[in-house]
Amino acid sequence: MSDTILRVENVTQRFGGLTAVNGVSMEIKKGEIVGIIGPNGAGKTTFFNDITGVYTPTEGKIYFKDKDITGMKPFEITKLGMARTFQNIRLFYRMTVLENVMVGMHSRTKSNLIDSVLKTSKYNNAEIEAKKRALEVLELTGLADYRYNYATSLPYGLQRRLEIARAMATNPDVLLFDEPAAGMNEEETSDLMKFIRDLKGYGYTIILIEHDMRLVMNICERIYVLDHGSLIAEGIPSEIKSNPRVIEAYLGKGVQ
Amino acid sequence: MANLNSKNKNELFSKIMEICARNSLIITIISLLFAISFPIVFSSQYLINIAINCLMYSVLAISLNLITGFMGITSLGHAGFMGVGAYTAAILSTRYGVNFIFTSIAATIVASLFGILLGLPTLRIKGRYLAIVTLGFGEIMRIIELNWVSLTRGPMGISGIPRMSLFGVAFSKPIHKYYVILVLLIITVYIVRSLMNSRIGRAFSSIRDDEIAADAMGINVFKYKIIGFAISSGLAGLAGAYYAHYMGFIDPNAFTFDESILILSMTIMGGMASIPGSIIGASFLSILPEALRAVADYRQIVYGLLLAVIMVFKPSGLLGGYNLKHIKQRFNFEQSTKGVDNHV
Repeated sequence: MSDTILRVENVTQRFGGLTAVNGVSMEIKKGEIVGIIGPNGAGKTTFFNDITGVYTPTEGKIYFKDKDITGMKPFEITKLGMARTFQNIRLFYRMTVLENVMVGMHSRTKSNLIDSVLKTSKYNNAEIEAKKRALEVLELTGLADYRYNYATSLPYGLQRRLEIARAMATNPDVLLFDEPAAGMNEEETSDLMKFIRDLKGYGYTIILIEHDMRLVMNICERIYVLDHGSLIAEGIPSEIKSNPRVIEAYLGKGVQ
Repeated sequence: MANLNSKNKNELFSKIMEICARNSLIITIISLLFAISFPIVFSSQYLINIAINCLMYSVLAISLNLITGFMGITSLGHAGFMGVGAYTAAILSTRYGVNFIFTSIAATIVASLFGILLGLPTLRIKGRYLAIVTLGFGEIMRIIELNWVSLTRGPMGISGIPRMSLFGVAFSKPIHKYYVILVLLIITVYIVRSLMNSRIGRAFSSIRDDEIAADAMGINVFKYKIIGFAISSGLAGLAGAYYAHYMGFIDPNAFTFDESILILSMTIMGGMASIPGSIIGASFLSILPEALRAVADYRQIVYGLLLAVIMVFKPSGLLGGYNLKHIKQRFNFEQSTKGVDNHV
């Protein structure tokens, strides 16, 4: 297997007459931290939704671990080892922090209906194992003390972190974060940056959409820039910072 | 600590819930003892029949709660599934002389098959649209029961449904019928409880809270909706089979839209996603019409008023928003961390 984990070829997403994503291609290598930036409405989240199966691309192909995943359902893609967080937090709000993470464990445990009702040893072992692993993830993300609180009772920064914990529980190789630092203050963002770097240390490949340039420029190894659905630049942070097309997309053209 | 409870204005109620959660085992045992001794202490046939109603509607309310409370699928046609179960049991027992044990199993299976058949084309739609579909289903079932005369005897109904019996011993007295439905209720509670404490139950709850996120967590949302729907309608069918054998006579009027709404009211009033809530809601709404016999002429008015008052003061239902398991877990955890602090 090559060290390319995710390959996107010419993905286009149209909604009626609107082209939200226009012929975007990218190649993500194992263990990278890649940033996707662009002005509001550039099609970043739509692109994420294409990769994770929420939408089926109008054109183009997506290969994950050399397997064509175009048109697969989100839950199938998650089982293959890709997990995501959402731009607007989508936690299971009537469930505890621990249960939220245990939901992430779903496809890793296998007890069925009969096991659950008859409380077979398979069920018991699966429950114990799921709880143990969930607690490990919570320890790792610093949420263990909140395990029996409702997800909604967490402060904002921790809710974002719980989303990441929940995604990690699916045992992914690739993590996709949709604006993980949105709404965070300086301190929370710094914590998050440190945390994402730690994640890379555990062997995850990370793709993130972010508006916070401090975070993107500091932790991303490579950056893709989208504007009006098209890829306008690609490169290491220092290249992106000085790329005239990127500056134009963000600030507009100078007056002549 | 900020949690769901503190949002509730009713501090006292939260306190009571905490006490209940901490002593859930004792409360369960006391309730069970009460339920077992009830027909012995109160031997009046009238009271036992009311108690049977309470238990039978508890089964129905819990089965509806499984999809409405735990999964967020509102059904307005639950009586339809009860009817499928009742007719299955009635036809099998009157025409083929099948014993209650087998008719109840058959009724459960047939009703869940109907649940799956209804679910396959419709569970992809959501919320109020799905509610309308279930309403339609309930009505269609009633119309079929009314018009397929060769099978259901139509408006004449099926009479002479044999009594429940086990190994040749007929359960003829109300007290026997009472214990049968008590056992069925215990089985229902056990099944729903076990499910909700498993990965399947967590999948159900996650679908209720956020379908898109559940999907992203690797949960096949559609599959789990079908599973939930099948179990829920199966349990309703079981209650229907009991109803058929208990009454000895069924006709389409027993499974109308009113009946579906009654079951839904019990579930909502008792509290979404709460099993004890469903039992309390079902018992309350079963007893209320009887208790109001004294004010015969004004019965419907008082009944409606009471319902309205409860929904105004406790819109989430009596036990809605209180997950006793969560309260207990949190309490135990806080105690254990406190213990650690003291030792250090």
